[in-house]
Amino acid sequence: MRECRVKDFFAAGNGSPRLVIDVEDLWVRRDSHYVLEGITFSLREGTFLGVIGPNGAGKTTLVKAMLGLIKPSRGRITVLGMSPGELKHELHHIGYMPQQVLFDPYFPVSVYDVVMMGRTCCIGTFRLPRRGDREVVQESIAAVGLQGMEGKPIGELSGGQQKRAFLARAICLETSILLLDEPTAGLDMDSQENFMDLLMRLKEEKGLTVVFVSHDVNILARFADEMVCINRTMHLHGRPREVLGSERLKEAYRCEFDFLAGKGTGGGEA
Amino acid sequence: MWSYGFVQRALVGGALIAVTCSLLSFFVVVRRLAFVGMGISHAAFGGVALGLAAGVDPVLSAGGSCALVALGIGWLSRKGRVHEDTVIGILFVSAMALGVVLVRVANAYNLDLMSYLFGSILALSWSDVALIAAIGFLALLYEMLFFKELLFLSFDRETAIASGLPVLAVDYGFLVMLSLVIVVSIKLVGIILVSALLVIPAAAGMQLSRNYRGVMAVSALAGLASVLLGLYVSFHYDLASGAAIVLVLFALFLLSFLASPRRVYVRRRQAGG
Ligand SMILES: Nc1ncnc2c1ncn2[C@@H]1O[C@H](COP(=O)(O)OP(=O)(O)OP(=O)(O)O)[C@@H](O)[C@H]1O
Ligand SMILES: [Mg+2]
Repeated sequence: MRECRVKDFFAAGNGSPRLVIDVEDLWVRRDSHYVLEGITFSLREGTFLGVIGPNGAGKTTLVKAMLGLIKPSRGRITVLGMSPGELKHELHHIGYMPQQVLFDPYFPVSVYDVVMMGRTCCIGTFRLPRRGDREVVQESIAAVGLQGMEGKPIGELSGGQQKRAFLARAICLETSILLLDEPTAGLDMDSQENFMDLLMRLKEEKGLTVVFVSHDVNILARFADEMVCINRTMHLHGRPREVLGSERLKEAYRCEFDFLAGKGTGGGEA
Repeated sequence: MWSYGFVQRALVGGALIAVTCSLLSFFVVVRRLAFVGMGISHAAFGGVALGLAAGVDPVLSAGGSCALVALGIGWLSRKGRVHEDTVIGILFVSAMALGVVLVRVANAYNLDLMSYLFGSILALSWSDVALIAAIGFLALLYEMLFFKELLFLSFDRETAIASGLPVLAVDYGFLVMLSLVIVVSIKLVGIILVSALLVIPAAAGMQLSRNYRGVMAVSALAGLASVLLGLYVSFHYDLASGAAIVLVLFALFLLSFLASPRRVYVRRRQAGG
């Protein structure tokens, strides 16, 4: 019964790509002031959305609002055809990688245990991991290049390796949506490439819809299908070249520089 | 010593308490609930005093006061504005103060009260042992059924909530189980000392293992050893059983600390520069 809301969502429709995420006039208040005002956009199945904006722009807030972790004061969010209240029971269909995982470095769990945590809700209450679960976990660990480190305590990994473990945890679900909050920040060049390769492969294989928050415009210019730029309000939404080339981007960042000037940004839309 | 009925009861009940408390202690330690455990157990003092004053079974009234304080801690700290440790600091001293007043009213400053405070090897009846077994079974069943949820929530609360875990059931469930276990343990271990059994075993386990399976195995062994050894000492030297158990437990913790591979690693690093 739990599975059927999401299955219904994907079974319905007439062949055209469905709106997986639909945000309409979203206002979010934190403490006394609004940090998001009138955000509107929608995302079709299989789209890679890059989200940019200066520090404190409300990107993390937007992601958390999509997960139902923060209540909007106004507006509507629909994910997989469900309101946040209905989504509560289907959250295991969304892979989430927070910007920062605050954990105790002495917590006695291995990399394998951490990735298996991602499957907690897929396994279901009162159940133990089955063979399928263990295989998916192993695959995810291999996919992020941590094979051979399964048994290591999570606190003994480097920061970048920990990030990869948390990515493995986000992708080991039967997800249709990945919400990634600055997943490549702090990774070395090589790991970033591997990470993006892996992400694009997963996206193709599973038809994933990806929301990718990042300050790295190079990566987004290469891989994103669409981009939004927010700074409390919605400033831009469009193809990466349009967004990065726009005059209004400077307005959002309140500074003067050319986003497309750097090398490697001319690759255009992926 | 083994032929005495009260020793047999203390041993069986003590072994059950030891295993239950030490297996719960893992989550008490990793979720930083050591002070919560202390708060709940001290709240039992108010309940015991109420029972003695009103002529009700003190275990019943203590159960009520512990569960109330446990839920109060969960509820007040969830409402925000006040930190969990502040809430505990408010609730448990209030319950204890109430206990002191009630004890005076009932004129119950007697041996009975002392045995509730520090535990007595003479205290358990077979029906107490049966109650310990039932509550212990319930608590361990709960921990087993919700183990992966508890682990996820303890490790990374935010992502656990974002993945749709039943947070309330897991959080409050654990607090309630904790208070039930504390209540049935106080006759043998004592109100003041029972929280040690909910902290030290896992702390010793964390010294010796870097995986939760190992931690839990070590803590169960440490808990069991301390209770059995503590009861032996208590019988031979006529000491309060709770105090004897805690001292043995502390010695075991020191041993595990000295033997810890982590500590050796630190020392070598310092020596190496
Ligand atoms: N827990 C909180 N309580 C109150 N206000 C908050 C909280 N977290 C964030 N804010 C405020 O909300 C605004 C948006 O924060 P958010 O974390 O969404 O920014 P961001 O775009 O993710 O920034 P960054 O690029 O630094 O990650 C900020 O102005 C911040 O001060
Ligand atoms: Mg952020």
